[in-house]
Amino acid sequence: MSCRPIIFIISVLTCTLVHCQNKELLYDFTEIPQALMVNPGARNDFEWYAGIPTLSGISLQAGISGISVNDLFANDGLDINDKVRDRAIYGLSTRDEQSTTFQLEFFNGGFRGKKNELYSFGMYVEGDVINYWPQDYAILAFEGNADQIGRRFDLGDLKVRGELVNVFHFGINKRLNNSLRVGIRAKLYSGILDVRSANNRGYFVTTEGNRNLLANTIAADLIMRTSGMNTLGEANDDGTLTNFFMKRAFFGGDLGAGFDVGLTYHLNNQTVLTASLLDIGFIYHSNDVSTYSLKGSATIEGVDVILPDALSDPNRDFWQELVDEVETLVPFRTSHKNYISFRPTRLYGSLRYNFGEELPSLEDCDCGPDSGKGGAGRRAKYANAIGGQLYMVNRPRGPQMALTAFYHRNFGNVMAIKTTYTVDKFSATNFGLGLSLQLGPINAYIMSDNLFAYGNLAASRYASFQLGLNIISWSRK
Amino acid sequence: MMSRIGPMNFLKMKTCATHISLLLIVVSMLSACVKNQDFGQYDNLQITPTYEGSILYLEAPESEINAHDGSNFISQIFNFDAFAEPVFADRVLDGVMTYEIANTTSKPAQLTFEFLDAADAVLDTEVFAIDPAPTAILYRETAYGNAGRSITIITSTSSIRITAENLGDSTSVSSLPNAMITFKSAAKFRIRVK
Repeated sequence: MSCRPIIFIISVLTCTLVHCQNKELLYDFTEIPQALMVNPGARNDFEWYAGIPTLSGISLQAGISGISVNDLFANDGLDINDKVRDRAIYGLSTRDEQSTTFQLEFFNGGFRGKKNELYSFGMYVEGDVINYWPQDYAILAFEGNADQIGRRFDLGDLKVRGELVNVFHFGINKRLNNSLRVGIRAKLYSGILDVRSANNRGYFVTTEGNRNLLANTIAADLIMRTSGMNTLGEANDDGTLTNFFMKRAFFGGDLGAGFDVGLTYHLNNQTVLTASLLDIGFIYHSNDVSTYSLKGSATIEGVDVILPDALSDPNRDFWQELVDEVETLVPFRTSHKNYISFRPTRLYGSLRYNFGEELPSLEDCDCGPDSGKGGAGRRAKYANAIGGQLYMVNRPRGPQMALTAFYHRNFGNVMAIKTTYTVDKFSATNFGLGLSLQLGPINAYIMSDNLFAYGNLAASRYASFQLGLNIISWSRK
Repeated sequence: MMSRIGPMNFLKMKTCATHISLLLIVVSMLSACVKNQDFGQYDNLQITPTYEGSILYLEAPESEINAHDGSNFISQIFNFDAFAEPVFADRVLDGVMTYEIANTTSKPAQLTFEFLDAADAVLDTEVFAIDPAPTAILYRETAYGNAGRSITIITSTSSIRITAENLGDSTSVSSLPNAMITFKSAAKFRIRVK
């Protein structure tokens, strides 16, 4: 067993295209302030909290559906060319994706207002890339068009999206009554980089020629939009990448706005319904924007020489005429028109049943199990909880969904763990575990998905982890 | 601040669950492994697609053939840069040129297809002798690379010269409608992408 290429595997997973991270472990993990980031209406009892800058929230996720590194690089004696052909080129479909997401909080904090509402604020950078397997492009590149008479290679298979965004946010969380808590968070997006090519159509086909032996036909309606990429290239050449990222991260690039909403609703003393909708927003790309398009259709059968007309001009360049004709019929154009992109909106929901021992509250209030029925109107906190969660995210090929069953256990007010089992398109054996430790005012958490895959990362199609450090206070200022 | 953390809670930290959690998350991540992988296989990966398309189509009606006093009714050099494009010339491995000639005129002919380099020097020649109608379609495949002719003929080609000679008379007319000589050609080549 060799343990050395872990970094390689992580690099492969990371560098392929990712999807917005399903943070099923963090969701409704109310001992951690960052739970508010996935549900602005999450239950909370902090007086104030402050994330350790750049360490309060670090998360990374990578997923590949349909294939794993092990499928291609296992030392199994099979020919790599056969494995690539059978398992990737023809084994994957256009529904399969390679995706990765990371999020890094620069700062994150919150404080309680006079009317017991909790205000939260912060800034984080988020990268998100997703690529759907471009099957027909892959076949065309691997096999070519020879002996494929009549086969239409679908140019619409190209669906890729990547973005790097700096997000500033400010939210409010308020308990409206004994059963309902709601929250909303406003977001300002400062777009750093954006690449997207999702709404493509067209085909390439080789048929028997009308006059010549073969006819190659292309009918294309392809478009790719980018923002920041040209400046990135220049900054890379000039050695000014830091300035580039700092400028575009602080409103020197593309600007956008959005919001999150969420709620927690107690159906009864022990049953809780939660839901949140995140990143309902857009970014207006207006800085260093380029749009590349290839649109039109053409059929070519090589150079046509029809006598006697063909010989009327002895200097006639038939080949250049053919090239010019194709470029006229299927022009490749570059424009710099601004565009709007919508954020990948995410939906969370959960149904949770609390049971077991009632825990003492950390709040500086007359509440908890010893304070009488519903102390200060607050719901009791229990040692155990089980439930189910739903996650959906809007993707170029339609919504993606994940279902999670979880068990949450509090060990006093010092430690809490959450275990999850999640089913999604990447894995049906995804068991995750999250741990939150409260040591005095210091809160530390670490979470990881798909734990069984760590035995052999190369065979995994999904990897995810989150960690962070916070300082939390429950006392009145 | 954190005034209610009692000793019992700290004792609970030392439960088996604590160890299980830490072990599962931290230790499993730290001990994460990649089993029995051979990334050197990547070096053996060969991506060599084969592409095909038409090259040149020539159509010479019988009336045009009869109109020429000399025996050559065409002798023309056609610029053809497709094979010289670096994306092709630097990567082509082998392939086949396919020719198809049909003659529905009343006269025999000889058609010469020549590959020329940038200085118009002849690199390779294909000669087709065509009987007068009625005759079968002449079909020929010529391989380049591997056991065929040198692939450098293809990669050095900058233009094509076609010469067609009327080996019969200039007065007779075929009884077939739209009598003509047609020359079709296509190329199928394997490219080394990796």
